[in-house]
Amino acid sequence: MFNPWTLARPVLFAAFLAGGTQAAEKIDFNRQILPILSDACFHCHGPDPETREARLRLDQRDGLFRTREGVTVVAPGQPDASELILRITSPHEDEVMPPRKVARQLKPAEIDLLKRWVAGGAPWGAHWAFSPPQRPAVPVPADPQLAARVSNPVDAFIFARLEREKLAPAAEAPPETLLRRVTLELTGLPPTPAELDAFAADRSPDAYERVVDRLLASPRYGERWAWDWLDLARFADTNGFQGDPERTMWPWRDWVVNALNANMPFDRFTIEQLAGDLLPGATTEQKLASGFHRNNMFNGEGGRIPEETRVENVFDRVETTATVWLGLTFTCARCHDHKYDPIAQQDYYALFDIFNQLSETGRNQGGGQVPPVMDLSTPAEQERVKRANAKLDALARRVDAFELKKFPRPEGRPVADSPDAIKLPGNLYATHAKVEPRRRNINGLLEALPHFQATDPDPEYAKLLEEHIAAVRERDNATARITRVMIMDELKERRETFVLTRGSYEHKTDQKVVGAIPALFRGAAEAGGARARPAHGKIAGPSGADSPPAAAPGEPRLNRLDLARWLVSPGNPLAARVTVNRAWQAFFGTGFVKTAEDFGVQSEPPSHPELLDWLATEFVARGWDLKALHRLIVTSATYRQSSRVTPELLERDPDNRLLARGPRHRMPSWMLRDQALAAAGLLHEQRGGPAVKPYQPAGIWEEATFGKKTYQQDHGDALYRRSLYVFWRRIVGPTTFFDAGARQVCTVKVARTNTPLHALVTLNDPAYVEAARVLAQGALATATDDSGRVDQVFRLVTARRPSAAERDILLRRLATLRGQFAADPKAALQLASTGEAPRPGSLDPVEHAAWTALCSLLLNLDETLSRE
Amino acid sequence: MDPILEGRQLHTRRQFFGRSVLGLGTAALASLLGRDAFGAGLLTAGRKGVPGLPHLPHFAPKVKRVIYLFQNGAPSHVDLFDYKPMLRQWHGRQIPDEVVGGKRFSTMTGTQTERPVLGEITQFRQHGRSGAWVSSFLPKTAEIADDLCFVKSMYTEAVNHAPGITFFLTGSEMAGRPSLGAWLSYGLGSETEDLPAFVVMTSRDKEASCGQIFYDFYWGSGFLPTKYQGVAFRGSGDPVLYLSNPAGMSREVRRGMLDDLAHLNAIKREEFGDPEIATRIAQYEMAYRMQTSVPELTDLSREPESVLAMYGPDVKRQGTYAYNCLMARRLAERGVRFVQVMHAGWDQHRNLNTQLKIQCEDTDAPSAALVKDLKQRGLLEDTLVIWGGEFGRTPFLQGKIDEVKQWGRDHHPYGFSLWMAGAGVKPGFSYGATDEFGFNAVENRVHVHDFQATILHLLGLNHEQLTFKFQGRNFRLTDVHGHVVKPILA
Repeated sequence: MFNPWTLARPVLFAAFLAGGTQAAEKIDFNRQILPILSDACFHCHGPDPETREARLRLDQRDGLFRTREGVTVVAPGQPDASELILRITSPHEDEVMPPRKVARQLKPAEIDLLKRWVAGGAPWGAHWAFSPPQRPAVPVPADPQLAARVSNPVDAFIFARLEREKLAPAAEAPPETLLRRVTLELTGLPPTPAELDAFAADRSPDAYERVVDRLLASPRYGERWAWDWLDLARFADTNGFQGDPERTMWPWRDWVVNALNANMPFDRFTIEQLAGDLLPGATTEQKLASGFHRNNMFNGEGGRIPEETRVENVFDRVETTATVWLGLTFTCARCHDHKYDPIAQQDYYALFDIFNQLSETGRNQGGGQVPPVMDLSTPAEQERVKRANAKLDALARRVDAFELKKFPRPEGRPVADSPDAIKLPGNLYATHAKVEPRRRNINGLLEALPHFQATDPDPEYAKLLEEHIAAVRERDNATARITRVMIMDELKERRETFVLTRGSYEHKTDQKVVGAIPALFRGAAEAGGARARPAHGKIAGPSGADSPPAAAPGEPRLNRLDLARWLVSPGNPLAARVTVNRAWQAFFGTGFVKTAEDFGVQSEPPSHPELLDWLATEFVARGWDLKALHRLIVTSATYRQSSRVTPELLERDPDNRLLARGPRHRMPSWMLRDQALAAAGLLHEQRGGPAVKPYQPAGIWEEATFGKKTYQQDHGDALYRRSLYVFWRRIVGPTTFFDAGARQVCTVKVARTNTPLHALVTLNDPAYVEAARVLAQGALATATDDSGRVDQVFRLVTARRPSAAERDILLRRLATLRGQFAADPKAALQLASTGEAPRPGSLDPVEHAAWTALCSLLLNLDETLSRE
Repeated sequence: MDPILEGRQLHTRRQFFGRSVLGLGTAALASLLGRDAFGAGLLTAGRKGVPGLPHLPHFAPKVKRVIYLFQNGAPSHVDLFDYKPMLRQWHGRQIPDEVVGGKRFSTMTGTQTERPVLGEITQFRQHGRSGAWVSSFLPKTAEIADDLCFVKSMYTEAVNHAPGITFFLTGSEMAGRPSLGAWLSYGLGSETEDLPAFVVMTSRDKEASCGQIFYDFYWGSGFLPTKYQGVAFRGSGDPVLYLSNPAGMSREVRRGMLDDLAHLNAIKREEFGDPEIATRIAQYEMAYRMQTSVPELTDLSREPESVLAMYGPDVKRQGTYAYNCLMARRLAERGVRFVQVMHAGWDQHRNLNTQLKIQCEDTDAPSAALVKDLKQRGLLEDTLVIWGGEFGRTPFLQGKIDEVKQWGRDHHPYGFSLWMAGAGVKPGFSYGATDEFGFNAVENRVHVHDFQATILHLLGLNHEQLTFKFQGRNFRLTDVHGHVVKPILA
């Protein structure tokens, strides 16, 4: 009897996902066989004709069941007559498949599975993700007690599966745990003691649901969920690459927050961001939304060939779009037909053509505001530029006068004409001597100052150069602060698109392509002949939005708006699924499809395929309503389970894919910072606007940019804004975050690792130490005794009160700390003064320091760091 | 020790510990910690290092660790190592079209109509028994010529710095793939728990004449978990971010806090059963250890004067190339797998005559001292040192021939040199050649992917088999290319 539990883990897991622990031999082609064929065979016998061997294709039905010259690849029911089985079991070196030299070999269990699949009639089906989701019937758990716990259909699917696995769901988490979990999840901030009290006191049956509704309505909701979208959108406050000029894309970020808070339907959310500028009568807001695809990096390196940059930007837009709305990796198809998924290189360039019509030239113009841009500047911003320019003009005149004496030459001639100029190194000759003072740039000046200081000590000139640097910096800062948002536009005269050999901008083939959706999604009939001909009539409009004809009649070429509409139309089987999957990932740590970035043939089969499709169809049926989707998930009994785990369950389901317990994970680092600020009462809840620069160790930017960028830390309220608003320099992101998306390319799934470096952040970053000492201030100011204070802080960070044993440990530690700081009052005052928040002078530094250390300990508890 | 035997022992150890110590947090660690609620037992049990993948290395490695002295900006091969008498003969004359062959250049010379050959601005002489040609700008490197293995037929695909460097270090021109060091710490793990497996240090020329930036994707982990990314030691202040306790918190206070933190976490683990909590306990303990091991690492008081002197006058100044080279040796001694030292300032577009010499003065002694120092300690026997940039520089002039002060050379991917020293490669050996203008690599050409395949090979890894599945595809450092350059292997 086949028992999957005795097999090696990967196969075991495939079987496990397929839902069978019994050998009742219903082998699912899609979930069990296709992944093996794809991984082990498609490289040479798959979609890419370039690498196809023996004219054999196993990715299509015809190829798989083909008989040629008397040889049948797969003969259903007859493993012994199937060449595929004969080859994979062949003892002969020159016959066996995969060839021995290939890294990916079949495991015995996989060979066995393939044999049994053929023996069982070799049922076949196309890859599940390429067919539209079918709404499954909602199952009913057989056990009435279990059925009674079903809160909504989510639970019905999860419980039915648990029942099959002979597992039972965990009990509901305690109210304070639940409130903390859902509050952090939906708003990114912890519940207050008052909210905890109110929830504990509320005995009504819908108490939890009302909390959820309160949280969904909170403006913090948009701030929390914007983070994930910003990771996808590779949002940052600078271009990246050399010079790393600043951008002013924050109005786009605020658009995202507002759209999420207003619960803009996801289809409209999609269309406005991909093609808001092309909507008829596009509003300013809609044009702003189209900034989504201007968030990519921009390489303005000196010597860079503009077309190379431009083409790379188009690649990025194609691939980001495919990842976000199709859950497919198009990157491979840049150079050749995809090896596994039915995506041809032509399909890639058909999308490329759609994004190839932006007026962007690839030339480095406007620093971080590369045209096309939308001017959203304020009079104050313009005034600042005017003042900075005036100041620079005045200073340049002084420099000029001084240099006329220092480097004698005929008036009106550059320093280069002075005999002394020959002493300057080549670079300075070019950037300093040949350039009149008004036009010198920051890089040249930063080079000039140390040169003159080292070779020609002249304090007066050095001072003048320093002033000049300051003035140029101010001019540059003021100019960079003028709010201009990069947006999309469409060339009147369209660029022609050709397939590029190996994705090289230099090597256009003669194969011309026009905008179209990938053939895979165009249906079998169309796929053959009119490849590029889209099915216009079938492209549905978004819910609520007006939908004029997609393109001019007779125009076979799709544009961005057509594509955006198609992405959220019933024609695309993936958008709702990938979106629902990402939401599930956010709440439970792992999506139904673990490879959230890839739903292709090589992806891991979903853990709960029916629930995934049910949620996807439900999401669309409810008008792409994100808040409704989130509500559905968090009000499920599944989500509300305790996350406590038994050794047996841990062994059975270490990654909690079956969800016989609630999720428990370390929170993202940005959320940890927000939690610390909120618990300490430091959080300054101002919404939107330009980014802020909180604490950061000295020299980070300087080191990364050779001193060309200096970090000017903000003060006051700006130090305590939510992490969402922290300035993100793309080449060196904020140091206070760890395991965060790098904001360089589209990131669907961020890592959750535990390295010593992370512990150092939450232990030593002034943001956390300051939060600890302000927490201490709060405790010392309110509660009356040590026990009460310990309880108060413990509850602020974990939402519960400590057990007697825990309290005891903490009180003993407090006594030790008091002794340690009493012995060194100077150190006590130092610790108690960390950060810039005010500190009451009346506080005893020793007492304050002891409590600060204790609060720092509490901020580092595993429970504090985890969403439990 | 016999590397095969050692590999086998390592393998056994890995089987015992499973893949539990970092990140995966499985039941194995939980049960280990169960015997010692504070986790201290795990960390002091005499085990050194963090395991990599269970089936690695693929074969007996020659090299245990790598120090990559990356010269950002692209050193001029024709002025430093690739001696071509033709250049002086043709000096000032247009380089023949058949040599250039319509190749692309950066926009700085891409539109330049005149491309006069520029003779080397240095003097070349042969050195050592091997007779290697080394420029007069690199006297100390010349002294160790017999320890070096030159590759003079490198070529690459990128013509600009960031893509070029990214290509060398990650195998792809576009940012976002795992870097060499990340692949190694992922595959091979670490030989130390007290320091990161992959350390990066950066420096630049004194004049800051170049604009190249050190992007963090040069040491990124790409789609590998972020714990494999390089840890950039800083050039000022704490070498590791947030390493120091806050002002006013002593080591004793911190120790006590951490003891109770571990205690409270252990209670939680008992009650909750989540093995991640055990990982958390270990994580904080390792952070505490790093707070000791890093200051010990950077304490140079025990270095003999004679050693310090070899590295040159800047050796005690944090953030200089000399300091970083010495630190590279100290890291290698402590079991760090991959040290990436990056030095910028080789991008002489219009200041070749002034800047190249300064650049060489800053880097020559430290690079050579590192090799000598490793050798005298026996570390060169299982350490590989690599010196090289992202491409070379044009044998023709950027600028005008009569503007001597502003002579320069543009980026040149079609043929350039690098050297290696130490374990696994032939000392006193030179491989491959460019044409007589130093323009195209023509003999025994070595592509960047070949070079990467060779490095992995030296570490006991088959570059085709060190893969990671991401977005449905098995990715590797060498993409789908690369051949091990066997003739240079010792």
